[in-house]
Amino acid sequence: MMTPTQTLLGIESSCDDTAAAVVRGAPGDMHVLSSVVFGQAELHADFGGVVPEIAARAHAERLDVSIAAALEQADLGLDQIDAIAVTCGPGLIGGVVSGVMMAKGLSAATGLPLYGVNHLAGHALTPRLTDGVAFPYLMLLVSGGHCQFLIAHGPDKFERLGGTIDDAPGEAFDKVARLLGLGQPGGPAIEAISAHGNAVRFAFPRPLANKPGCDLSFSGLKTAVLRARDDLVAAQEGLHASDQADLAASFQAAVRDSLVGKSARALEAYLALNPHQPMFCVAGGVAANMAIRAGLEAVSSDLSVRFLAPPLSLCTDNAAMIAAAGIEQMAVRGPDGMALSARPRMPLDTERAGMLGSGKKGAKA
Amino acid sequence: MSSQLILGLDTSGPHCAAALIDGDTILRAHGEDMARGQAERLMDLLEEVLAAEGKSWSDLSALAVGTGPGNFTGIRIGVSAARGLALGLKIPAYGVTGFEARAHVSPTSARIAIPAPRDMVYVSDDQGTRIIPAADVTDAAPNPTPADLATGAALHAAHLWPATPEPPAPFYVRAPDAAPARDAPPRILT
Repeated sequence: MMTPTQTLLGIESSCDDTAAAVVRGAPGDMHVLSSVVFGQAELHADFGGVVPEIAARAHAERLDVSIAAALEQADLGLDQIDAIAVTCGPGLIGGVVSGVMMAKGLSAATGLPLYGVNHLAGHALTPRLTDGVAFPYLMLLVSGGHCQFLIAHGPDKFERLGGTIDDAPGEAFDKVARLLGLGQPGGPAIEAISAHGNAVRFAFPRPLANKPGCDLSFSGLKTAVLRARDDLVAAQEGLHASDQADLAASFQAAVRDSLVGKSARALEAYLALNPHQPMFCVAGGVAANMAIRAGLEAVSSDLSVRFLAPPLSLCTDNAAMIAAAGIEQMAVRGPDGMALSARPRMPLDTERAGMLGSGKKGAKA
Repeated sequence: MSSQLILGLDTSGPHCAAALIDGDTILRAHGEDMARGQAERLMDLLEEVLAAEGKSWSDLSALAVGTGPGNFTGIRIGVSAARGLALGLKIPAYGVTGFEARAHVSPTSARIAIPAPRDMVYVSDDQGTRIIPAADVTDAAPNPTPADLATGAALHAAHLWPATPEPPAPFYVRAPDAAPARDAPPRILT
């Protein structure tokens, strides 16, 4: 059966980017008509991290503006849209609720079907949007809030092989950048200064490297960098530029090695499925780091698996991936009703026990 | 006089409420108490109020939404829904504060005091809008029912219509709870 071409409005507000986009196409064959992202970095700059209440306030007053801008850039009216897709979790609940209510209001007003999309599914389905990659493919989602290996079997079927048991790498990059007196966001700052650093001066840990499975940990690494910095500060009352560069480079190498080592394990599990066109895809802001990307590319190529990193604008949070996930999913399921919930926790793979926050509220991701 | 149908909604407290008015005539008002689940309930409640009067979304001239002060998440639920509806219906949405809404449904001699957490109230006078202990307000107006709050919001908007409003924005009063980063950067040696 031919799937008809659909034009979807996507809405994303789960962290610190308010985004709207219009995507047109059919599953595996889509293109972005517009993608608007209003970042909030300047609002959170003084606080050393995303402040949930500040983020929620900004989303509530920017969502409709970003939607109007996305429609205008696509040169379309709401009457030329076929459905609305909105991130309904996981994420900072204040922003997710605003996005979901905005989408419900639009849906009620226009009669357009409403699809609640898991933010992680948006990232995980991005290779379908950018390159029409065939299922099943292996996905590493690595960002400021998430880190997990997934096998994408279908538009709504994901198998988690493993992930971080504590912090996400992007979070660690930001934290370490602050420890070293570098700017935010930490990823680009650390990558830039690492180019001049000695990556073997500090022997930082590669946690869980010798444990079986694909789980990762970055919290201890952060602490190890803090200790090394404090030792230097205690000995010489500050850091030399060379210390900053060496600490940054040694840290980046540890993150790279952890991700590369576990990628090899994940690839092994994935290749056991005998995929017809094996493909290893990466998404999330940390995928922009060239040292990490080169390491992932190398391990992939060693196993004769094609490697794909979507362009950065579709790797970091955006609404085009949400619209695309909507197009993928509307081929296999019906729309959500007006009782659609916004969820702070929303694991993608519901069949496996969650790795994070497995308390009484359930798994986060 | 031609019909001027305005739908008011309010989720600024532990409730979901809607009111439908035509000019100054209150057609229907309905509120439900709920500590949680407003986001799941609101749209169906609005459609039920419209349907009970034989109306649909396309009959509306304008929307009114309670902007607080009140529960932060609650007022964002109402404001976001109203902004989405306004964008989709291409009609104005008027943001109405809890003080403005109450002025239409409370006795004029009483002082408006809006419940805040920890036995405090929001008041608004020539010293501005602020939070004070509830015990300091002896002549407080009784807190209106959720249905009355939605009605007050709609009545307030009826007096503003058809002027083009600023998009409704939550009236937080309180600054966001956020502390500047504590960890001082290391001294960089030259």
